[in-house]
Amino acid sequence: MKKSLVISGSGGQGVMSAGIMIARTAVSAGKYATFLPEYGPEQRGGSAKCTVVVNDEEIISPLMAKCDTLITMNEQSFKKFGASLKAGGILIANTSRVLSEITREDITVVRVPADDLAVELGNIKCANIILIGALIGADAGIITEEAMLNSLEAKFASKKQEVLDLNKAALAKGIEYGKNAK
Amino acid sequence: MAKVLMKGCEAIAEAAVRAGCRFFAGYPITPQNEIPEYLSWRLPEVGGVFVQGESEVASVNMVYGAAASGCRAMTSSSGPGISLKAEGISYLAGTGLPAVIVNISRGGPGLGSIQPAQQDYLQATKALGHGGFRAMVFAPSTLQEAVDLTYNAWEYAERDRNPVMILMDGCLGAIMELVEFPEMKEPDRKGTKAWDLNRNEGDTRNARLLTPYFPEAILELKNNSQKKMFERWAQNDVQVEEFMVEDAEYIIVAYGISARVSKEAILRLREEGYKVGMIRPITLYPFPKESFNKLNYDQVKGFIDVELAIPAQMHDDIALEVKDRAPIYEYCRSGGLLFDDDGVYAAVRKILDGGAK
Repeated sequence: MKKSLVISGSGGQGVMSAGIMIARTAVSAGKYATFLPEYGPEQRGGSAKCTVVVNDEEIISPLMAKCDTLITMNEQSFKKFGASLKAGGILIANTSRVLSEITREDITVVRVPADDLAVELGNIKCANIILIGALIGADAGIITEEAMLNSLEAKFASKKQEVLDLNKAALAKGIEYGKNAK
Repeated sequence: MAKVLMKGCEAIAEAAVRAGCRFFAGYPITPQNEIPEYLSWRLPEVGGVFVQGESEVASVNMVYGAAASGCRAMTSSSGPGISLKAEGISYLAGTGLPAVIVNISRGGPGLGSIQPAQQDYLQATKALGHGGFRAMVFAPSTLQEAVDLTYNAWEYAERDRNPVMILMDGCLGAIMELVEFPEMKEPDRKGTKAWDLNRNEGDTRNARLLTPYFPEAILELKNNSQKKMFERWAQNDVQVEEFMVEDAEYIIVAYGISARVSKEAILRLREEGYKVGMIRPITLYPFPKESFNKLNYDQVKGFIDVELAIPAQMHDDIALEVKDRAPIYEYCRSGGLLFDDDGVYAAVRKILDGGAK
């Protein structure tokens, strides 16, 4: 089934790397995937958005008006893209930075204070992995925990064991939040 | 080879390497920077040469030099940079040198925007430079097609001794999707190509390159032989996808990313009973004229030109073939704003409903 995911935030938060990791993970599980980055001329701090489409068959159009799942990593992106989530979709909000009240009642909301959790775990940089965990925990139907663990192992194979452990812990933490929100 | 998830620009770059391209010179511009970035490490791996030129003009002239030495050579840029390279591209055509020029297109005119658009159709198909020459222009719609067209581009360029353009929008340049690469072609550097000024020992060829052409009659001969070449392309080299046109009452005409979004809209409209199809030029030049001329105009009620350009630039080419036998509508976005599935569906449906009244 064709599923679309938008990840949005600001440059430097790991929006693109999360999107690429999800697309790679889906492909490694035998699916088709497209990843489309969109950003302005800024290097850091500007608006960053990517769209990942995952499907069992070849993807005709990678450009969608509405998404099935939306991850917003900051307030600005929540305001900008909140309305593009389909009714019945899943919103994963990084509530360390998304401060607005989330009022939509036609969606599942997963509130994850990802920045705070990441700092507690030891590194703010793993906030995006926590949010990927929430995506898996909330059963967004895009990637599985097993496939994502394999991706983390491949991605951090050349790094110290602590880096892999940190990211695994971040993923587990996110999955917990995702499951609890269902 | 297994399929790999790859970015459009990088897929083109790898396909070029596999086609035997061993020289690249270019100058940075968004949204094509991943092509030079990739080739900067990849070409040295296969004994090739990568140069970041001091300018677009220098880069295209280095490509001219490399091509004159028999090397498969390429440059890439985006709209404003292609304008700067126009002189060199015309010189390649004038001298009769093969090369591949990639344009990952963005908004225009002028500096325009760095975001994706299809604003360079007219430049690519009508006048890539001064002097009235043409180049074959390939417009991929998927990354696999981008790989395959780039891989074959030098076959055309060398057959015709003429530059070839790959024109792809910045959206496809940035997107990642699965591609499968063909095997590596070994570059032919034996000095057997007619335009190759390299000399091996014992080589008795009388290779020479002409530019400029004196006296006048020589240039007229050259122009005449080019004219015949353009006619041969129209006869033999058109590539087009015709999608659900057999019973279509309305036909979308689109290329590149626009064609993909249109195709999804067509499938949706077909489910609702609308008889709509698509003509997707793969070669923008030579334009697929026959696809329009063989249609039954008692059946076809209209065409919809869907482009990321305002005004639609392909419109005139469509009109030349349709010859007022059916109206041509447009649905376009520009400036870096992209289509989406719902938007194209709704716009096309509105046209179909209006036409049916």
